[in-house]
Amino acid sequence: MSEKDQYKNRIELLQGTLDMLILQTLQWGPQHGYGIVQALRLRSGDVLQVETGSLYPALHRLERQSWVQCEWKQSESKQKARYYRITAKGKKQLASDLGRWERIVEAIGSVMYVKPEESES
Amino acid sequence: MKWFPSFGFQRRKRELQEEIDAHLQMAITDRVARGEAAETARQAAAREFGNIPLVQDVTRDMWGQAWLEQLGRDVRYALRQLRKSPGFSITATAMLAVAICANSTVFSWIDGTMLRPIPGARDTGDLVSLQRGERNFSPTPPFSYLDYRDLREQNHTFAGILAYHHDWITLTGGAQPERAYIANVSANYFDVLGIKPVLGRFFLAEEETRPDAVPNVVLGYSLWKTRYAEDPAIVGKSIEIARHPVTVIGVAPEGVVGAMPGIREDLWVTLDPLGTDVWRMTHRSGGAVWLNVIGRLRPGVSRGQAAQDLDTVMHNIVAAFPDDHLGENRITLDPMWRSPFGANGYMAATLPILLAFAAVVLLLTCANVATLTLVRFVSRRRELAIRQSLGANRIQLIRQMVLESVVLSIVAGAVALVLTSWTSKTFGWFFPANSSPLTLNGSMDHKVVIGIAVSSLLAGMLCGALPAWRSSHAAAVEVLKAESASISGGSRNRKLLSGLVVAQIALSLPLLLCSGLFLRTLRNLAGANPGFEQDHILTASVGLNIAGYSHDEEQVIRHKILDRVSALPGVKVASLTDWIPMTLGHKGEDAYPEGYAPRPHESLKVLHAEVSPRYFESLHIPILEGREFTPDDDEKAPRVLIVDQTAARRYWPGQDPLGKKLWVWGRLFTVVGVVRNSTHTFVNESPEPMVYMSFFQAGYETMVQVKTEGNPVDLAPVVENAIHEIDTRLPVFDVRPMRESTQMASSFAVIQSALAGMFALIGLVLAITGIYGLVAYRTQMRTHEIGIRMALGASRVDVLRLVLVQGLWLTGTGVALGLAFALGLTRLIARLLYGIGANDPITVVSVVMLLGAMSLLACYLPAHRAMRRNPVTAIREL
Repeated sequence: MSEKDQYKNRIELLQGTLDMLILQTLQWGPQHGYGIVQALRLRSGDVLQVETGSLYPALHRLERQSWVQCEWKQSESKQKARYYRITAKGKKQLASDLGRWERIVEAIGSVMYVKPEESES
Repeated sequence: MKWFPSFGFQRRKRELQEEIDAHLQMAITDRVARGEAAETARQAAAREFGNIPLVQDVTRDMWGQAWLEQLGRDVRYALRQLRKSPGFSITATAMLAVAICANSTVFSWIDGTMLRPIPGARDTGDLVSLQRGERNFSPTPPFSYLDYRDLREQNHTFAGILAYHHDWITLTGGAQPERAYIANVSANYFDVLGIKPVLGRFFLAEEETRPDAVPNVVLGYSLWKTRYAEDPAIVGKSIEIARHPVTVIGVAPEGVVGAMPGIREDLWVTLDPLGTDVWRMTHRSGGAVWLNVIGRLRPGVSRGQAAQDLDTVMHNIVAAFPDDHLGENRITLDPMWRSPFGANGYMAATLPILLAFAAVVLLLTCANVATLTLVRFVSRRRELAIRQSLGANRIQLIRQMVLESVVLSIVAGAVALVLTSWTSKTFGWFFPANSSPLTLNGSMDHKVVIGIAVSSLLAGMLCGALPAWRSSHAAAVEVLKAESASISGGSRNRKLLSGLVVAQIALSLPLLLCSGLFLRTLRNLAGANPGFEQDHILTASVGLNIAGYSHDEEQVIRHKILDRVSALPGVKVASLTDWIPMTLGHKGEDAYPEGYAPRPHESLKVLHAEVSPRYFESLHIPILEGREFTPDDDEKAPRVLIVDQTAARRYWPGQDPLGKKLWVWGRLFTVVGVVRNSTHTFVNESPEPMVYMSFFQAGYETMVQVKTEGNPVDLAPVVENAIHEIDTRLPVFDVRPMRESTQMASSFAVIQSALAGMFALIGLVLAITGIYGLVAYRTQMRTHEIGIRMALGASRVDVLRLVLVQGLWLTGTGVALGLAFALGLTRLIARLLYGIGANDPITVVSVVMLLGAMSLLACYLPAHRAMRRNPVTAIREL
């Protein structure tokens, strides 16, 4: 039970961000779970390591909210895999997630990069 | 997920597995491509992926079906627990099944009668039954055609109003004349009911009052099926009714039996099909008041608004024709489920009360099963404590325990469903053979199934919730530590157990009391003197008026019947009548006594019957004043009446009624005699004025009433033969002893006492086993303590007293609470009792004594056992 709780916590922590990252990855074309992990790792220069325990629940949740659709297809290496594709609804969600993300980054940034003398005045 | 083999869930689970496999496979392929060895790659990929079952688990949570899986696990666990104690499971299931079946049976009867008042009709909830004048339990048809037509045309609140008159008739033209039940109906009859024909058409507006040379008839489905072999070309064909040719214009759908609840109609004609009833169609009072009326409310109109609307219309009618509307004319509306016309008035007075009794039985059973469940949970407290300390939270524990009871009650519900499909059909058994075309029976439809499902779920929760909530309370550590010292799970459980047993006794007492009152009512009814002699009387209906004879032919045949039957050996007295008392049927008419000023709004209705000479003699009804009818009181003679005491006292108090005059049907009748009161419909009726008219002056239907020397049944074929010798085509029906016919009057008392008796018996058994179980259980728990007491010098009597006092204390509390409950409840049934008060002290005392004696016995058995124990073995035992 406790182990399960840890995973849940991590999903919650990353929730908004992970969803956004997955949707963004799918913008470049339909992809399977392994592909998404690899893509995120490559794009982030090995910084972002998505746990499978977070990825698959997130994918299934996105599917339930019909932000992604999925189908079984053969990969280039002849491996049958479940491919996820972003939907129109998902794209709209991605846009709003991105907007929010940018506002947060900006807000955090303006807090973090304040010059000391300005804050004293 | 064995217990919930949901296909979609299984498929998704498999897909998830495949998805993960694919993930791993691709990771391995990549690693191998980078030059790793196959085995190292596989291990690394698996390590990287993490805990596969856990990933599956958290992913499945996203599907929103996790609760289903948990429920499946809990159900499997519950079944395993129940299998471990088959004795408890079977007992509890059987008890619940019986109690649920008691409820569903009564409900199926309500469903088949009150909730389906007019089979085949659309939205019967919008239909209301119209009554005019003083409200009456079983009124006669209240409207004339003209009044009905005015109400129909001048109201603003009804989508439609129909009228009908129920009657019977013979179908001739076949080998044997056959009796059929017919209704004269307004043209909009089927429209208002919302019924469409399966063949042909129904009546047109212009046909409503138009007599036709060859009248039109609509056949009922079953008549079409049985007599006309489902002839698909029947429409347009000519058939014969009462020796008149008629044309079939349509066939009603299967199951449609007309608008009078509980009564069957086989075919329908218009209001005056032959043009022989012009008088009836053009007058507003007397014999022209012959129609029952049902209206369909417009959407959104309440019954009160509609009644007010009709009252206004009726007020105008009364103002325009005051002489035709003496007495009370207020209009009241009843929903069809309690419509006073037909059978539902009787149903509404009986069945809901029986359903309330059944509900008490179910509550009582729940209390009983709850005690058993609590005892079981107490004995499982160790297991519960272990599960609690392993991390189960309280809600989970409660859910699991309640689920065990729910599983039991669902099984019980299924058993009850099977039982009810049979018991629902037993309702018809209560009604003896009689001349009314009763179609009363229970029905088993989705409403009953839903009722069973709801009551079994509720029962399950009720049985499980209290014990589960209580058992989950115990602190795990305490239980595990104090295992050996704990007795029956602490004082809290003891209180709950006592409470449940007290509840059972308190609930069984009102059941016993009501059934006692009903049984004594039945005995009083059977022993009551109806005011006439009903043994050694045989009656037979002759379908003269309905067979198509002319009036003169009828009179000749009637005289012939009387002569022939009187001459039969074994016949003491033969007479003719057109009414048999205590058969739920009666005829009413407005009568206007000369020189009598009615109080405002006083009903002038009298009951009437047409009887031949020697009628009163054969029934032993004494003539108090004046004379009986003689053969000379025929159509040529002045019209005469014999009144009963009630009528004499009402209209001519303190005067000699002989020679007084009375207007009925616009004709003047002279009183020639006074007879003693006798029962008309029910033994417990409030007497209504009754007038008897001479059969040969006013008789309509013909019934032969024979006083026999021996058993009346033996004479039945002889009498039937004698009538057929006059004319073989004469239809003869309902040949049976009067004793049998009058049983109809007590059939509802029989239903009440039979069911209440059965329910009370169940209640008594449950309450007694409940208290026995508790005292036995507690005594067993105290074996050790009792052993010590005896070793320290307590005598056997002390032990006996110890155990008995405890049981009797519970009984006393239960009886006291039950009495309070019962005395409130009996007020509800007071109306149904006869010859006994609702709080009859003798019944109350005997019921309390019975319950007390039975519980004393139930407590004595375990007490006796405890007293006999050897203290040494008792102390050793734990």
